[in-house]
Amino acid sequence: MKVTLLGSASLLALALPAMAQQAVPQAEDSYFVEGREQLALQIERQPNTNQAKNVILFVVDGLSIPTITASRILEGQLQGVDGESNRLSFEELLPWSALSRTYTHDAQVADSAPTATAMVSGVKSVNGTIGVTQGIEVDVCASQAGNEVTTIFEQAEEAGLATGIVSTARITHATPAATFAKVAGRDWENDTNLTDEARENGCKDIAAQLIDWPAGDGFEVVFGGGRGNFMLADQTDPEDETQTGSREDGRDLIGEWQARHNDGVYVWNQEGFDAIDPANVNRAFGLFNRSHMQYEADRETDAGGEPSIAEMTVKAIELLQKNDNGFVLMVEGGRVDHAHHAGNAYRALTDTIAVAEAVEAALAAVDPEETLVVLTADHSHVFTIAGYPERGNDILGIAGVADDGKPYTTLGYMNGPGARLDEPRADLSEVDTTDPDFLQQALVPLGESETHAGDDVAILAQGPWAHLFHGILDQQVIYHVIDHALALNDRAAN
Amino acid sequence: MDRRAFAATAAALLLQPRLALAEAVPLRFADLYVRGRELTPAAAALDGQLVQMTGYMAPPLKPQIDFFVLTRRPMSVCPFCETEAEWPIDIVLAYSERPVEVVRYTDLIRVTGRFETGFETDEETGFVSFLRLRDITYRRL
Repeated sequence: MKVTLLGSASLLALALPAMAQQAVPQAEDSYFVEGREQLALQIERQPNTNQAKNVILFVVDGLSIPTITASRILEGQLQGVDGESNRLSFEELLPWSALSRTYTHDAQVADSAPTATAMVSGVKSVNGTIGVTQGIEVDVCASQAGNEVTTIFEQAEEAGLATGIVSTARITHATPAATFAKVAGRDWENDTNLTDEARENGCKDIAAQLIDWPAGDGFEVVFGGGRGNFMLADQTDPEDETQTGSREDGRDLIGEWQARHNDGVYVWNQEGFDAIDPANVNRAFGLFNRSHMQYEADRETDAGGEPSIAEMTVKAIELLQKNDNGFVLMVEGGRVDHAHHAGNAYRALTDTIAVAEAVEAALAAVDPEETLVVLTADHSHVFTIAGYPERGNDILGIAGVADDGKPYTTLGYMNGPGARLDEPRADLSEVDTTDPDFLQQALVPLGESETHAGDDVAILAQGPWAHLFHGILDQQVIYHVIDHALALNDRAAN
Repeated sequence: MDRRAFAATAAALLLQPRLALAEAVPLRFADLYVRGRELTPAAAALDGQLVQMTGYMAPPLKPQIDFFVLTRRPMSVCPFCETEAEWPIDIVLAYSERPVEVVRYTDLIRVTGRFETGFETDEETGFVSFLRLRDITYRRL
C-alpha cells in the first residue's frame, strides 16, 4: 500500500508543471513567471564532458552562505536596485552547485590550512598544517617526512601547464601556500617564525618554499601581499619607510626570484602592475603590501596603490594563456575571512562583491567551454542574517527592537569583538550601524577575533565536468573533480 | 549606568563648560586619509579644531595614564607591549587632562577633543604619533 501511494504521488508530481501552467490562478504572477523562467534554464543546462584545458579555482576565505546572501543584497542596494532579488555574478555564471563538508581530520571546525590542502591535494588533514596528510603532528617538522602531498599545481607544472596564484592576503598565508608549501606549522611564513625544532630538522619557511619550488618551471604568476616575508630585516619597505622586511637568514628572496627569472618582472605597486605587458614578459611576481593587501573598501587609500582582485585575475589569465597547454590558477579572496574575524560585516561583504567582479572578468577572459571555473569557501563563519526586516531594509541597518528595548541589527555574529564582557549589550540607538567601520554585535565575547563555523559551504562551478558538483560532498572532492577534468594523467601518458 | 560609564560621563560633565564653547565636528576614520599618510582636505582643515571621533581604546600601557590610542577597529595589544605588533596607519593618540578610565578594547567609545596633525614624538614614552586629540572627553556608547 505504501508503495502504491508513493507511486501515485510521483505521477502527480510529474503532472503538476503542465497543470500549473494552464490552470493555476497564479500563473500570471510575476514570481510564478520568474520561477518558470528559472526552471527552463535548469532544463536547458547540459553537462560539459570535454577535457578541461584550464582550471580557475576561486577560494573565498570564509564565504559562508549568509555572506553570499548579504553580499547579494548589499551589492543591489549599493547599485540602487532591489537587493534581495539581485544576483552576484557567480550565482548566474557558475550554475552547477554542491555543498562542501569542511570538517578536518582532527576538528569539527576547520581552519584555512587543511581545507586548502583538501581542495588542491585531495585529502583531509590536520588543522594548523599545510600540504601534509593526516599523519602529521602539528608544529613538528620531523613528522613531515612521509606525510607530504603532491598538489594539483605541481601535477600541472609537471604536465607542462602554466600555473598561477593570486590572493588579497599574504601569498604565504594558508590558502595560497597550500598550492606549493609543505609545513607542519602554518605560521612558518618566514624564517624567523620557524621553531628551533623546525630549524634543526631542516624545515623551510613558506616564503622560501615558494621561491625554491621545484615543480616544472615554477609559477608563471604570483600576485598578493606578504612582501615582508620575502625581504631582509635590513631592507626598507618600498611603500613605508618606517617598515622593513622580516627575514634574518640572509636570503633576499625577491632578489633571488629576479635573478632566476630574467623573462619575468617583479612589481610592488599599481604603477608597476599596470606596466606589466604580457606580450613582453612570461611571468610576474607582484607583492603589493608588506602584509595582507588592503580590504577592497580601503584599497584606494593604499600608499603605493594596489590592483583590485579583478585586475589581478585578468592579468594573471593573460600571462597564463601564453602557454598553449592550458593553465591552473587559484584566486583567493582572502580578506572576507579577516573582516569576519574583526566582526566587520561591511568589509566582508564588499570584499565578496569584489570577488564577484573578478569572476565576471575571468569568464570574459577565457573560453568558458574549455575552462572549469570553481568558486568555493574553505570554511564558514558564525555570521547570521536575523530578525524580520522588511524587504528593502538596509542590509547594514536595524532589523527591530529586542526584549531589552534596544535596537538590533539584521547582521550579527555568534561570537567575536562585538560582544561585551559580562555586561548587557550596547544601545545602538545613536550608533550609525551602516558606517563601514561598525562592528556587528555578538553574543559571546572573544576579544579581537570572531571564529570560523562548522556549517557546510557552497561549491559553485561551470565548464568541463562542473556538473560533478552536486549534492553534499567532502571538501577534498574538489581536487578530484579538477584532476578528473584536467585529465593530467592522460596527458602525461600521451 | 555602570560605574565606568558614570565616571566617564561625570568627567565629561566636568569639562563641559570649556568644550561647550565650540561645536565638535564629527570626523570619521574613513575620512582621514586620501592615500597613505596624505590627509583628506577636510581632515587637514580640522587641524586645531574640536572634533568628535568614534572608535576603540587600545589597552593602555599602564593602569595610571593620561593618554590612550584610539583605534578604528579593536586592537587587543598596547602599542608598547608588543614590539612586533603591526599598527595600522589610522590610529589617533588621545591625550586626557585626567587619568584615563580604561574601557575594554572592544567597546565602542566616542571621543571629543582638539585635533592635531603632523608627526610628533612623546617626550615621556617616545611614542611617535601622526594624529592626536588633545584635552579629550570620552564616553562609552
